[in-house]
Amino acid sequence: MRLELKDITKRFPGVLANDRITISVDRGEVLGLLGENGAGKTTLMNILSGLYRPDSGEILIDGEPRTFHDPREAIGAGIGMVHQHFQLVPVFDVVESVALGAESVTGPLGTFDRATARKRVVELSTQYGLNVDPDATIEDLPLGVRQRVEILKALYRKSDILVLDEPSAVLTPAETEELFGIIRGLAEGGTTIIFITHKLSEVLEVADRITVLRRGTVAGTVNPSETTREELANLMVGRDVELTVDKGPATPGDVVLSLKDVFIMDDRFQMTVKGVSLEVRAGEIVAVAGVQGNGQTELVEAIAGLRTIDSGQMTISGATIIHASPRHVADLGVAHIPEDRMRDGLIGGMTVAENYILNSYHREPYSSNGMLHAKAVDEAAEQGVKDFDIRTPSIDSMASSLSGGNQQKVVVAREFSRRLKLVIAAQPTRGLDVGSIEYIHSRIVEQRDAGVAILILSTELDEVLAVGDRVAVMFGGRIAGILEGGEATRESVGMLMGGGH
Amino acid sequence: MTVAAPTMTPMATELGEADRRSLRSARIRGVIIAALGVSAFQAAGGSFEVPAAFSFWLGKQGGESLTIATSVGMLWLLAGIAAAVAGIAQLVRGARFPWRRSLIVLSPLYIAAILGALLAGKVANMTGVFAGSLELAVPITLGAFAGILSERSGMFNIAIEGKFLIGACAAVISASITGSVLVGVITAMLAGVAVGYLLAWLGIRHRVDQIIAGVVVNIGAIGITNFLFLRVLSKNTWLNTPPTIDRIKIPGLSEIPVLGPLLFSGTPYLYFTLALMLFLTYMLFRTRWGLRLRASGENPSAAGTVGIDVIKIRYQSMLLAGAVAGLAGSYLSLSSAGSFQMGMSAGRGFIALAAVIFGAWHPIGAFGAALVFGFSDAIQALMSILGVDVPPQLLNSVPYIVTIVVVAGVVGRVRGPAAAGQPYDQA
Amino acid sequence: MKRLGRIVRPAIVPILAVFSAFLVGSVFLFITDIENLKTLPSDPAGTIVAGVVNIGNAYYALLIGAFGDPTRIVAAIGTTDPKVIASAFRPLTETLVVSAPLIFTGLAVAIAFRSGLFNIGVEGQFIMGAMGATVAVLAFRDLPPPILLVVALAIGTLTGAAWGFIPGFLKARTGAHEVITTIMLNYVAAQLVLFGLRSEFLKQAGSEAPISKVLSTVVRVPLMFDLPAVRLHYGFVVALIMAAIVSWFMFKTTKGFELRAAGFNLTAARYAGMSAGGSVMLAMALSGGLAGLGGSFEVLGTVGQMSNDLSAGFGFNAIALALLAGNRPAGVVAAALLFGALRTGGGLMQIKTGIPLDLLFFIQALVIMFVAAPVLIRSIYRMNPRPLDEGSPV
Repeated sequence: MRLELKDITKRFPGVLANDRITISVDRGEVLGLLGENGAGKTTLMNILSGLYRPDSGEILIDGEPRTFHDPREAIGAGIGMVHQHFQLVPVFDVVESVALGAESVTGPLGTFDRATARKRVVELSTQYGLNVDPDATIEDLPLGVRQRVEILKALYRKSDILVLDEPSAVLTPAETEELFGIIRGLAEGGTTIIFITHKLSEVLEVADRITVLRRGTVAGTVNPSETTREELANLMVGRDVELTVDKGPATPGDVVLSLKDVFIMDDRFQMTVKGVSLEVRAGEIVAVAGVQGNGQTELVEAIAGLRTIDSGQMTISGATIIHASPRHVADLGVAHIPEDRMRDGLIGGMTVAENYILNSYHREPYSSNGMLHAKAVDEAAEQGVKDFDIRTPSIDSMASSLSGGNQQKVVVAREFSRRLKLVIAAQPTRGLDVGSIEYIHSRIVEQRDAGVAILILSTELDEVLAVGDRVAVMFGGRIAGILEGGEATRESVGMLMGGGH
Repeated sequence: MTVAAPTMTPMATELGEADRRSLRSARIRGVIIAALGVSAFQAAGGSFEVPAAFSFWLGKQGGESLTIATSVGMLWLLAGIAAAVAGIAQLVRGARFPWRRSLIVLSPLYIAAILGALLAGKVANMTGVFAGSLELAVPITLGAFAGILSERSGMFNIAIEGKFLIGACAAVISASITGSVLVGVITAMLAGVAVGYLLAWLGIRHRVDQIIAGVVVNIGAIGITNFLFLRVLSKNTWLNTPPTIDRIKIPGLSEIPVLGPLLFSGTPYLYFTLALMLFLTYMLFRTRWGLRLRASGENPSAAGTVGIDVIKIRYQSMLLAGAVAGLAGSYLSLSSAGSFQMGMSAGRGFIALAAVIFGAWHPIGAFGAALVFGFSDAIQALMSILGVDVPPQLLNSVPYIVTIVVVAGVVGRVRGPAAAGQPYDQA
Repeated sequence: MKRLGRIVRPAIVPILAVFSAFLVGSVFLFITDIENLKTLPSDPAGTIVAGVVNIGNAYYALLIGAFGDPTRIVAAIGTTDPKVIASAFRPLTETLVVSAPLIFTGLAVAIAFRSGLFNIGVEGQFIMGAMGATVAVLAFRDLPPPILLVVALAIGTLTGAAWGFIPGFLKARTGAHEVITTIMLNYVAAQLVLFGLRSEFLKQAGSEAPISKVLSTVVRVPLMFDLPAVRLHYGFVVALIMAAIVSWFMFKTTKGFELRAAGFNLTAARYAGMSAGGSVMLAMALSGGLAGLGGSFEVLGTVGQMSNDLSAGFGFNAIALALLAGNRPAGVVAAALLFGALRTGGGLMQIKTGIPLDLLFFIQALVIMFVAAPVLIRSIYRMNPRPLDEGSPV
């Protein structure tokens, strides 16, 4: 089916999320929808799926205008969604999850006809090579399989139009390749596909046509064969985005962080880190690349004192930190920029000033003998706001009222306000605009040049390649390889991220 | 196109680790169970000469009875042997041993032995105890169904107690005015529906914390029913003398020896509760309605994105829960007591909440839990009749302590609906 | 002016909530006034007038009962007769007497709430505290009274704290939801008190009712005024001091900072090096301790004898008043005075007009509802909605 969106406009209080957006996709075509975070991709997709209604503009399917009041109507019109955050019920099995909302029933009580549903799931799974066990419980499945369950959900509803939102975020490069195979297969079978992403290489690889969104408007539509990464990047942000970090060569000093044969279990007692050995020296940036869920999160938590390790050695400047508490680790001069800043790094209901002292409130000059000194706190916070150019009405504003970039600056300002030996930064620039990304990278390099050891974990190849003096790749709980700055290329790192050698 | 199953090659070490842990806890469990057995043997030693006798009515209450006579020592011996077997099986089979199921066998044996020891030779009529447990379990079970319905749909419900009171009060007034128990029951259910609507409206429409909304209903219900009792009912006693609902013997079935007086001579509420238990179980776990309800309680946004109206489902189940809890309220006043008294729910709404948790959010589990709680009540009545001095406060505390133990995960954690208590925004 | 605004603004919704609740309560009073309603068919206007007059009388009795009769107060000013003075000010002092336990329990709920915990178990912690104090008095009755008083108050506080610590510990260690465990522990506490009051050690000789030996003959919290039948004791002053201490503790100390941080976001607190479990346990123990101290003052000051119904629902009222107070210590004092006035005045209302005191429970429920759903109040009184704090969901 041919899908057209004409002049879609959606306004939220204070924000014009979609401004007269017009796109179209033909039957059997793969449209890549490219844009930065905040470009309006998600809003557009929510309009398409019936969750939001546009303020103006129309949706045409095969030339016929349609309006969707709720997701049910969008599904009825043949639109299937694969959400970035999987919309599955963890305790259900695959058949139940797939059939939910489109159940066939028998009998007067509306008995769920499981046998029929199961049969169809098996058929579809075989037909499209999805390889999903229909009776497995969702929470036991790896993320890659869960995504295929999401695709099954759309196929089960006989969707002719499939919208995938950032589908590769949790996949390994190999899984992503596999996904692209599935997408091409579906398109050949006549399915219309919209592929939403912010990754240039992916649209270039899989899309038949690429529409770029910028700040809620269509910045341009191009053919992959007639464009370059540079052109796409320019369309996306209005200037050259190729991440370049202005930094000189590293001058590594003594070993600060040393990991030897570290094994760590996750919350479900599965060994997720299996014998990691790594050294980070003063004055160098080690970037750990890897797809989500390969043990990086647990590794960072262990170094930060938030998780006990099963076996192995961890030292900071020679002192063991195996049973150290988060505070003990911080007191050794370790800054930790956590992965999810709103969940782990900030307290939204407290003020900028309070967040600024969140992990040093117990020390002079902010407090003594258990008493807080408001004046010292305010002075320090004012200074931090000035130094890091944090845009906030005042230091008494709630952290939750700041933009994502400014929230991250509060975290970085707080962590960098102490004398440091080691910085652990997990996904330090996720979800930020380009300006903030560059700013945070430059502050990190500044720390490096001051002789601090830096460990950055990132799932973004671009970031890893741009900031890392050395690049370590994690796969399946192990270090798959460590590359010196020169050897680390998109290809070499990408291959290791997918488990290749 | 062929695709190989990607990722997740199972690693020997990781499985080994998980196994190691469960093996360790299995061993600890085995030792504890075996120790229980040994202590039972010790208790058996000195008590073979103490007789233990439990009797059951054969036909009707007070008629001929069947008496099982043995000795306390024998009971301890049996319990000890069972525990020893279970303990050894646990040690040998490790993590694969279904120890939760073994508790279902062990605990009655231990209870019988303890009971025998406490009675110290007195003959106890167990038909009364079991039938009493069943009747006492009725309001708790119905209340727990209300809790299950709302929590499975994602609404935290601590207001069962308040619904009991309002239902009980409404039933009495309308049944007294109309002289019809049926009208009384229906009024109670409608009152429950109204309270359920209030809860849903506050929690969903106004996003009031569901715990606070529950507190509002509980405090308000005490206030309103006490107020009505003192200002209206106590002065106009004709409003508080409803026709009552009595026990009905099911023809034929109630003639079955032992089982007849036990199971088939109860109030209509009992039969309805048992039927509702089966019906609800089927509806929750086998039908489209149940699938969607559970999805709303586990991951509402997953349900919402496939076009399920989560808000509607939550309203629906809150209204249904209200009706069921109101029905239980009518049981308290129309069947159990015969009139409305201030604070007559006496915490049973919270015991129902306990049964929800103890029964792992499953209707049959909840009934089982209610039965256990009812049994501890009935035993207490038996003890006081027989003049055995056991402080009633200890038995009264059983449901509460059991619940604390269960939520603390001491005896295997139970998991409630993941999204219970969280508001859901339908965009 | 700005400062004034800062004090007045948070009070607007609560004041309107109380006002609206009384309005609804009036309607309820009217429709349950069966005697009066009987004349409705024959004389509708007269019925309505009489109904309104009845309600007016009831609320007037409530006011007088809570704050005193103006004519008596005028009379008291010109005299030195302690009896006249006492009868004029007794309603007011009684209001303060009832407010004291409400301040303690309200602070207990508020401190837990600020730490992200819903302590529904204040009722149980209150009576366990009272029980602890009772046992202490009877066990150490030979100590000199001032020392005994301090010891008993301390033991009462610790008992309450221990009872609060249990759900805190369970939450920190196993994740058991504190709402469930505190509800259950309330009942366990009630059973324990009943059990204890049956023991020879505590039991009032020759009484079948669950009441303890009289404690006031052994030790008693000193009274503030030497006036006949005026029960106001120094527990009220301690309650006010505790409110100040709680406020200081939560906002000026590092421990308070930790509790508030944990209350907003437990994981972030953990990441910042605070002990999340420690905060939960500390908050629950402090909360229980405050409730226990309140219970101790109630049994050693106001009542002088332990009984199973010592707490007339103070722990449950506390939830309402802490919400009304926005969990601010100063607000808790104000709300406790209000609730104390309602209870005391409600007593006189019940005597004079026969309207049951329980009406106030209903009104309390309405107050919580209006405070918890401010949208209701705003829409009723057509107030401007608060501007959105956050941006768009892009």
